[in-house]
Amino acid sequence: MTAAQSLLAVLITPLLSAALIAFFCRRLGTVASTISVLAAAGIFVFSLIAIRGAAGEDVSISWTWLRLGDFEVSMGFLFNGVSATMLTMVGFVGFLIHVFSLGYMAEDNARARFFGGLSIFMFSMLGIVLADNLIMIFVFWELVGFSSYMLIGHYLNTEEAAAASKKAFIVNRVGDFGFLIGIVYAYWHFGTTNLSEMHGIVAGNRELISACIAALLMCGFIGKSAQFPLHVWLPDAMAGPTPVSALIHAATMVAAGVYFLIRIQFLFPSEVLTFIAWLGTTVAVYAGFCAYGQNDIKKILAYSTLSQLGYMSAAFGLGFPGVALFHLITHAFFKALLFLAAGSVIHGCHHEQDIFKMGGLLKKMPITAITFLLGTLALCGVYGLAGFYSKDAILIAAGLQHSPIFILLTLGAFLTAGYMGRLFWIAFLGQPKSEAASHAKESPLTMLVPLIVLAVLSVAGGWIGFWPEQLGGLIRDNLEHLHHLPDYDTMHHRVLILGSAAWVLGLVLSLFFYRAGAKEDRLEQQAAPVYHFLKSRLWFDEIYGFYVAKIQQRFALFLSFIDVFIVKGIFVRGSAGIVGLVGMCSRSLHDGNIHSYVYWFLAGLVLLWAVASGLL
Amino acid sequence: MGNLDTNSLFLLTAIIAPLLAGVVLLLGARFSPTTMRAIAVFGFAWPLIIGLLLYSRFDPSLIGAYNFELCLPTGLESIGIYLHLGLNGISMPLFLLAGTVGLAAGLYAMYSKAERPHLYLALLLFMLGGLMGTFASIDVFFFYFFHEFALIPTFLMIGMWGGVGRRGAAIEMTIYLTLGALLSLLGLIALYVQSGADSFSLIELRNYLSAQPLSDTVQNNIFALLLFGFGILVSLFPFHSWAPKGYAVAPTGAAMLHAGVLKKFGLYGLLQIAAPLLPAGADHWFPWIVWLALGNIIFIGLVTLAQKDLKMMLGYSSVMHMGYAFLGLACFSVIGAGGALLLMVAHGLSVALLFMLSTCIYHRSQTFDLSEMGGLATKAPVLAAFFVAGSMASIGLPGFGNFWGEFTIFAALAETELTRWIVVPAATGIIISAIYGLRAVANIFFGQPKAAFVERLQSDQITDLQAFEKLSAGILIAALVLTGIFPRVFSDDANRELLELYPQQQSHLPVIHSAVLSTDVDTHKELTH
Repeated sequence: MTAAQSLLAVLITPLLSAALIAFFCRRLGTVASTISVLAAAGIFVFSLIAIRGAAGEDVSISWTWLRLGDFEVSMGFLFNGVSATMLTMVGFVGFLIHVFSLGYMAEDNARARFFGGLSIFMFSMLGIVLADNLIMIFVFWELVGFSSYMLIGHYLNTEEAAAASKKAFIVNRVGDFGFLIGIVYAYWHFGTTNLSEMHGIVAGNRELISACIAALLMCGFIGKSAQFPLHVWLPDAMAGPTPVSALIHAATMVAAGVYFLIRIQFLFPSEVLTFIAWLGTTVAVYAGFCAYGQNDIKKILAYSTLSQLGYMSAAFGLGFPGVALFHLITHAFFKALLFLAAGSVIHGCHHEQDIFKMGGLLKKMPITAITFLLGTLALCGVYGLAGFYSKDAILIAAGLQHSPIFILLTLGAFLTAGYMGRLFWIAFLGQPKSEAASHAKESPLTMLVPLIVLAVLSVAGGWIGFWPEQLGGLIRDNLEHLHHLPDYDTMHHRVLILGSAAWVLGLVLSLFFYRAGAKEDRLEQQAAPVYHFLKSRLWFDEIYGFYVAKIQQRFALFLSFIDVFIVKGIFVRGSAGIVGLVGMCSRSLHDGNIHSYVYWFLAGLVLLWAVASGLL
Repeated sequence: MGNLDTNSLFLLTAIIAPLLAGVVLLLGARFSPTTMRAIAVFGFAWPLIIGLLLYSRFDPSLIGAYNFELCLPTGLESIGIYLHLGLNGISMPLFLLAGTVGLAAGLYAMYSKAERPHLYLALLLFMLGGLMGTFASIDVFFFYFFHEFALIPTFLMIGMWGGVGRRGAAIEMTIYLTLGALLSLLGLIALYVQSGADSFSLIELRNYLSAQPLSDTVQNNIFALLLFGFGILVSLFPFHSWAPKGYAVAPTGAAMLHAGVLKKFGLYGLLQIAAPLLPAGADHWFPWIVWLALGNIIFIGLVTLAQKDLKMMLGYSSVMHMGYAFLGLACFSVIGAGGALLLMVAHGLSVALLFMLSTCIYHRSQTFDLSEMGGLATKAPVLAAFFVAGSMASIGLPGFGNFWGEFTIFAALAETELTRWIVVPAATGIIISAIYGLRAVANIFFGQPKAAFVERLQSDQITDLQAFEKLSAGILIAALVLTGIFPRVFSDDANRELLELYPQQQSHLPVIHSAVLSTDVDTHKELTH
């Protein structure tokens, strides 16, 4: 099997699985889940074959998808180090989450729909990973949006899921609006949207880099990676089943925005990069604060995801796409772990998600608790764990180039440790605080094995030295580059000290402030205004809600009024123009019977024919 | 050329078979339901079968000429009117669209419980025959004649089987459509008279006018007649108000065929006749088309947001999407016209699907009021899945044909400096349509049922889609997915034809691009091999 064939197999396997499930297994939950899990395993296997087959070389193939005049759309793969890395991560984490779902969704009646949705998602996500041109990326970009819509809305009859799925899709469409315009402008600017061709063009002439196009394409990233001001959909998306939150809204789809930036990094001029760096930094800190106002275990993790996505875009904006990719991969490991462990907790506690109603889970669910703790430590950047290496590199890059961003990101690291500490101490220590928590049981093996594997990766995933040559390329290059910058050593030590201080302080302070197994939020009791301010998340949802209900909808109703009474009533029918004339004529002609119109009509036609024939 | 003759005769039967079946049904009011259905199935399925057969025998090398040409005398030879049939790369997709939607609408109508079913089916068959004729006509006179032929059954069906408020809607629709047809007829006659070609044959008109084009003033005037005449038929803003109300009261089969196919007559006329024959006119009226089309997209898009009635919402959204097709035409380029064609086909399929499913929803909810439903997906999951598919197609999700239409039109607009800015206002439509599309889906199918709907939802009366509904919707969805995944099934043939009819824009790429590009392409190709 050549590399190209196995890439095709990677893409077709999940599509086939989704089709099989949709057509034949709608009521056969077990069969559907087996097919879907096998497909996920197949994806991972084919990915490995593809990487072996490519043997470090770039693979690119393409077919014409549509051609009209000068406009040509192709479908093709660009398989290089970056996409190989992403493919491996998506394949492997995706497979683990599929396995976890076997246990988590075991009692769900709509399992077939769920697993079918996961397969569609894998198909769409892998399409983004492999695509070799902007138009194909956009196609799959929209499809991941659709699968996300479908899976967020899995619990159909809850109002929350209905609203959240709709919101996620529409907010993403707002980002895609800019993305779409960027693509068509790029097509005529470069004459192609093929990634390697565009790279060749801008490498030949740097002046062709357009800030306008880069900024428009960035809009797509802002929507998908839930960056400011389109971040509002991600916390709501937690209404979906927890494995979905782990796969789509933590490890892969939201990171696709960052991945997309990395794929087209050559198109970005420095001013747009600076903007992205600041955007990411703002989100990293903002989301860190928001997490303190949340009691729902998944929403805390969602804000954490937002914050970490901010770190990735900061790294990208600082000119280190490889470091952004590094953090993307390590984040995928530990955040998938945290979400799955949270899922295990929710499963164990009979769908209780409020951390103040948990407590004592360390004893009840030891494996879940320990893996969760490992994930937390990796996220906080504890020395030697996966998150440490990538976050360390981001902080060094910031420190060497941009002090304000460095200070803010360090503050972000402290905030991270604080809210994760709050979550862990309150939910896992102390005594059970609700009926559900006191009856919590450790989850079945299908759920625990993925947790353990991900925990191992959260510990060891950052040891870049152990990564195979084909995967680490860009990351290693960027890290090398970082090492050779002047003042690297000083900054390295400073980051080591400040970074470690941040997580130690964050964890310790949160333990002393919130106290292990607390029943109530102490911040709320001690400083209610501060707590409510954090909980408000700067009123974004309220402002958007106000806009939609009070401005957009009223404007629409106003236009509808104009449409009915003015365009229709006065402007068209009431005018003394042709319409009015015809109206008058037909009124005088018709005898209250609709059919007569038709006869007149026929008569007209016959008359025409007669006149035409009369010319004979 | 014996083969050609058989094919031409097949083409003729695609028009005659539904008409014949219709006549037989009209005469045979006492047929047993089984006989009636057998005759109707034949009438509805034959055009599509022929369409597919002819598609497989379509010879793409015949550029500028037509495949399967057939020319019969009519007694009007002296003024150049022949029953001249044939298909080219532009009419083939629409011919197949008519066949597909016709079959879906027919199947649905056969099992719906209309009163006087033989009459209902006969009128629908007449409509289908007219539609097949419209898109198979090379002769401009017959192109128009078949359209009117299909329009009359529409009015009758609305008058006889329409819903509440049909009188007002039917009168308004009749006035508008008559006016539109009248203006376009004037335009076509003016074209005939002014050209001096003494022929209604599109081929001869084309050859004649490319040799001696009309003066700019004449072109401007004739194009205006055709633009506004056809425009009214396609619900160009602000001549759209007949459409939502008309479709809201029309019986399902008529709404599917009219909104899905017959309405495309106007666009087809502009695409195949008006713009290529009157390039100066198209150029002159360009700003008008753009502003009115933006009115369709933005104004009507926002009006759609305000709709509470499912059918009105679908009607307005259909009006809105016509704006994109007009924008594609306004570009006056191969890409723009190709995009408009792709969108016409996909929109025809998706709007027919949604009108059909809205009736299926009504049968279950007994209301079209979006604020009085909810939670239907638990009872009717297949209906929900189909409706989501239809909505997603209509809002331009990739994987369905509509996406390629819209995307190509955006690309066409961005091609020249003059039209580049239009992409921005036009693309707001993708947000607006997502809002109303998903809002409708959520209101009907998800969440908890509204108070008024709880009791009905919990009763046993609500079932999922029945087999005939599934079949009918399945045909349309399959066609949408096919055009979404393989747009080249139509676009390649259309491209060849359009390259003849429309000017190619000059390449706007700076010289340096092409130099770099060509070397880069070479290295790229080496990598591939």
